[in-house]
Amino acid sequence: MKKTILVVDDFASIRDFVCDTLQRKGYETLGAANGNEAYQVLTQKANDVNLVLTDYNMPDCTGFELLKKIKENPLVTKVPVIFLTTESNPDKMRSAKEAGLSAWIKKPYRSETFFAQIENVMRNG
Amino acid sequence: MDSNQKRFVEDALDLLNELDEGLMQLESNPQATAPLEQVFRTMHTIKGGANMFGFENIGELAHQLETLYDMVRQGKMQITDGLISLTLHAFDKVRDLLKEKDVARINNAEVLKDHLTSAVNFLKVAESESSADISQTTNAKNKDELATFCLRISPTINITEDGNHPLVFIVQDISALGTSKVILIQKPSREVDHWEVFITTTAPQSELESYFIFVENECVVSYFKLTPCDLFEQPEFSEYLNSLDNLPADPTKIATFVALRLATYHQQKDEDEEIAEIGNTKKRSVSDSYIKVSKRKVDDLLNWISELIILQAQLATTASSIQSTALNDVAEQLEMITGRLRDTSLEIGLVPVETLVTKFKRLVRDLSKQLNKKVNFLSEGADTEMDKDVIEMMADPMVHIIRNSIDHGIEPAVERKAIGKSEHGTVKLKAFNSSSYVNIIISDDGKGISRENVLQKALEKKLISPNENPSNEDVFNLIFHPGLSTASQVSDVSGRGVGMDVVKQRIDELRGSVAVKSIAGKGTAIHIKLPLSRSIIEGLLVNVAETRYVVPLNVIERIDRIPYAEIHREDKVDKTVIVNEEPLPVLSLRQRFHNDVNPPKTADIISVLVNGIKKGIAVDRIEGKMQTVMKPLGDVYKQQDFISGSTILGNGTLALVLDPARLFLSTSHKEFSDKYEKSN
Repeated sequence: MKKTILVVDDFASIRDFVCDTLQRKGYETLGAANGNEAYQVLTQKANDVNLVLTDYNMPDCTGFELLKKIKENPLVTKVPVIFLTTESNPDKMRSAKEAGLSAWIKKPYRSETFFAQIENVMRNG
Repeated sequence: MDSNQKRFVEDALDLLNELDEGLMQLESNPQATAPLEQVFRTMHTIKGGANMFGFENIGELAHQLETLYDMVRQGKMQITDGLISLTLHAFDKVRDLLKEKDVARINNAEVLKDHLTSAVNFLKVAESESSADISQTTNAKNKDELATFCLRISPTINITEDGNHPLVFIVQDISALGTSKVILIQKPSREVDHWEVFITTTAPQSELESYFIFVENECVVSYFKLTPCDLFEQPEFSEYLNSLDNLPADPTKIATFVALRLATYHQQKDEDEEIAEIGNTKKRSVSDSYIKVSKRKVDDLLNWISELIILQAQLATTASSIQSTALNDVAEQLEMITGRLRDTSLEIGLVPVETLVTKFKRLVRDLSKQLNKKVNFLSEGADTEMDKDVIEMMADPMVHIIRNSIDHGIEPAVERKAIGKSEHGTVKLKAFNSSSYVNIIISDDGKGISRENVLQKALEKKLISPNENPSNEDVFNLIFHPGLSTASQVSDVSGRGVGMDVVKQRIDELRGSVAVKSIAGKGTAIHIKLPLSRSIIEGLLVNVAETRYVVPLNVIERIDRIPYAEIHREDKVDKTVIVNEEPLPVLSLRQRFHNDVNPPKTADIISVLVNGIKKGIAVDRIEGKMQTVMKPLGDVYKQQDFISGSTILGNGTLALVLDPARLFLSTSHKEFSDKYEKSN
């Protein structure tokens, strides 16, 4: 069965680009423009989403807030979350990890690194 | 440029506008946090996108500027005019770059080099100031601080070098951070025992460490900072590493190279520390949700709806001609629905005037600085919507009007103070709707247009005769005359006398109108009235030899009916026709395009104002006023530019929409104008 990845980014061209890239690799994708929207999609389709791939800096609900929401909700807490971001502050990375983040991919990324991280996270949950 | 890059460019241009807006707000209110956060976030997004889609130079510039604003966020720096100007100019350049069609051109690092240098310098100055101010401050990441590290990465899990484990790629990513050499030490089973990575990079150790945060359970990493400079510059070091061939490096050998290198290097800088960024980014106000639709789709939609309107009109005509009540009912309901459909679909193509306001704010800011005047820009009704094409066409003319207001209207602060005005002049843009028109009023509280100056100029240029005493309105309308500029001194901002005539021309093209009001010492207001849409036209339907034409309503001054014979003046010396007791040059459509077979007894003379001069169009009969959808003529008729389009009437016949300005200009009427000029 195809794995589904929820891509969250407020910048539409990046979101579409990431979705395209993933689709070419054979993933199903869902898109959301911010954390709140993503959380809504996720709670509605909890069983269908295998991974959340989100930007860090977004208006309204940041990636970090989204991560906390996901990890605090027992229904969706098992869905792994990856940040895809230009942010590279180690403190932020550290606290995100403590909050249950599975991986941190820095933009711009190389596609090998990108897919290796995604596959690794989905394999190991 | 691939389609992803194209989309990015489109989005980025939108973001740049938001950025401009934010910067402007920040400038007027340097302490406000909301615009600061917006500016920071927008730059951050631009940086991310630019790097992602391969526009590294833009990414780098955005990064440097972002760092500056981050310092402001952390309270280490104040917003200054210099900073705002630097940012505005830098992103102006980015905007120009993004408009290039060619990726190589966009990536031309030279273009942004100056801006990058000034941003870096600004940062250096700010840093030295802030570290002087605040002891114990953390240094922002400085690009000049090179260091050479040795990393020993030992996986605690079994992986091979060609495996798909993230660790493999992390090692690759790390080695890409600078000059590096990776030595892979394998177990007999060919699995990875450990990697030794020697790297000279500007990335601080904390950044290197951050790469491993998410694989902490799968590896052990130790870090050795070898030199606070580039160890690869020591030729023996590189030679030694290259000779190793996947054997572990000997620490004592490395130590000798380090000692050699350090001997020639005076240690100057302390270890880097990371920028401590403050917590969560502030929330931005929720914006209305929008979708982007290609212009072509909207145009197609409008086109089909205009077809529908025509069809509906035909249905109405047919229904009334066969006198069927049932069909009439249907036709009426259809009329209502198509009307609504037309209105809604027209709205789709409308965008708020606001898109221009940011541009104008910027203009006012730059100009007032340049001219050393104090000017506030106010806008009212910026949410008024207009056709996107119309907005684009009006941008330059409006810029010109605002330039004029600031350059010629608003007095210097000293002068204003002396006459009891506030030091700050005001330029105001007011937009509002009335029926199917959009009104734009650009006003200033400057010194107003001098009636005497305009009159004198007009006399010099022989636009009026000395004994004429025109009304104020007529005088002010003269500023739209080609070749009339009242500025006694030509500055590079405005005042070459080209401009206002172009403004007027553009407004005419859009079938709008413009009026000038000015009170000496109090200010000037320019009132522009534009049709909501370029494709909906209000006009007079006229009949000439059984052919129908539409004359746009906006140019019509008056209508007179005179005996048909009176317009025949070919054999007379004075070719003008007396209409309403005034001589008027008249163009007879019948004589021009048709023949004199079965002429009517009377002719209707439509007086129109073309470039401020009254001229007459003679037609057989006026049939009535109408509002209709204009459709372009095919390419075949492109040469006939005095016809701006066509429209299909309820009975299915065609009417041609005239462009009066071009009608009198068109070369096919050279004869007419020659005759007129000779007689003059």
